[in-house]
Amino acid sequence: MVDLSMHLMDIVQNSIRANAKTIDILFEEKTKTHTLTFVVNDDGIGIDREMLKKIDDPFFTTRNTRRIGLGVPLLKMTCEQTGGNLEVKSEPEIGASVKAVYRTDHPDCLPLGDIAGTLSLLLKANPEIRFRVLYRLDDDEFRFDSDELKQLGIELDTAEMFFALKEFFAANFEELFRKRPSGSYLC
Amino acid sequence: MTEIKTLADLKKKQEEVKSRIDLRNKAENPEARVQVKVAMATCGIAAGAKKVMEYFVEELEKRNIDAIVTQTGCMGYCFAEPTVEVILPGKEAMVFGYVDNVRADEIIERYIKHGELVDGIIPQNYDTIEHEER
Repeated sequence: MVDLSMHLMDIVQNSIRANAKTIDILFEEKTKTHTLTFVVNDDGIGIDREMLKKIDDPFFTTRNTRRIGLGVPLLKMTCEQTGGNLEVKSEPEIGASVKAVYRTDHPDCLPLGDIAGTLSLLLKANPEIRFRVLYRLDDDEFRFDSDELKQLGIELDTAEMFFALKEFFAANFEELFRKRPSGSYLC
Repeated sequence: MTEIKTLADLKKKQEEVKSRIDLRNKAENPEARVQVKVAMATCGIAAGAKKVMEYFVEELEKRNIDAIVTQTGCMGYCFAEPTVEVILPGKEAMVFGYVDNVRADEIIERYIKHGELVDGIIPQNYDTIEHEER
């Protein structure tokens, strides 16, 4: 994976496959501790204890189309290579939580990539799922809830609104990222 | 067009395009639409499926083709990612492998518009290594 937005797309796909109705995505950048925390929480079918043990095993997957599953192992690799860590928690039937911590003062920290494009693609392809996004950068934040858009009558699955949403996310992230102090490897 | 930055801007945009969307929804029933499913598992993402999906959304819209572009999981053809499944109304699903923007253009122009077969089709009876071993 070249950037964090690819991991985001990948980990969220796991939640979708677990029949999640609500998916919470959190990014938290902290200048003080030089960390970026990336969390995906869902209310899907969850992961049982046996599977949880094997979750970072690249030769374990729940699919039967292939015998390897690299999504979580790759995420673990990219956060650990910066000195961070990965934590996967789950309660069967209630949901799952994937939390990856990256050290942003490490040169191997992945760039964020196209978060705006990834989010708008996820919304377009999964209009029935409620996505809540919180991006926190020290004391500033950007919040988003796809239910609010639905209440405004916005049709997420149309091409027209896909472009509008992409622009919306890009403009908001741009404004937020302008507040990022210099010296961070994150970009 | 002014910048879209707030929820109100999004709402305004929705109102602007509403008539176009309604017209399209009325014109055809969902079964008559072309379906494009981009495989978006780890293998697909790493191979550039996001770019291909954006390309399909953008180009189908530009070329006025009523299609639903969505995501699917891994179909077991990891070696041929990015893979795209195209379902033309009333026809069987067709899976294309090694799809980049050039091939996506070919799929739209030749397969979706005219039903012609193009390179890169993964036959339905293709056995993955996994199936063979069983």
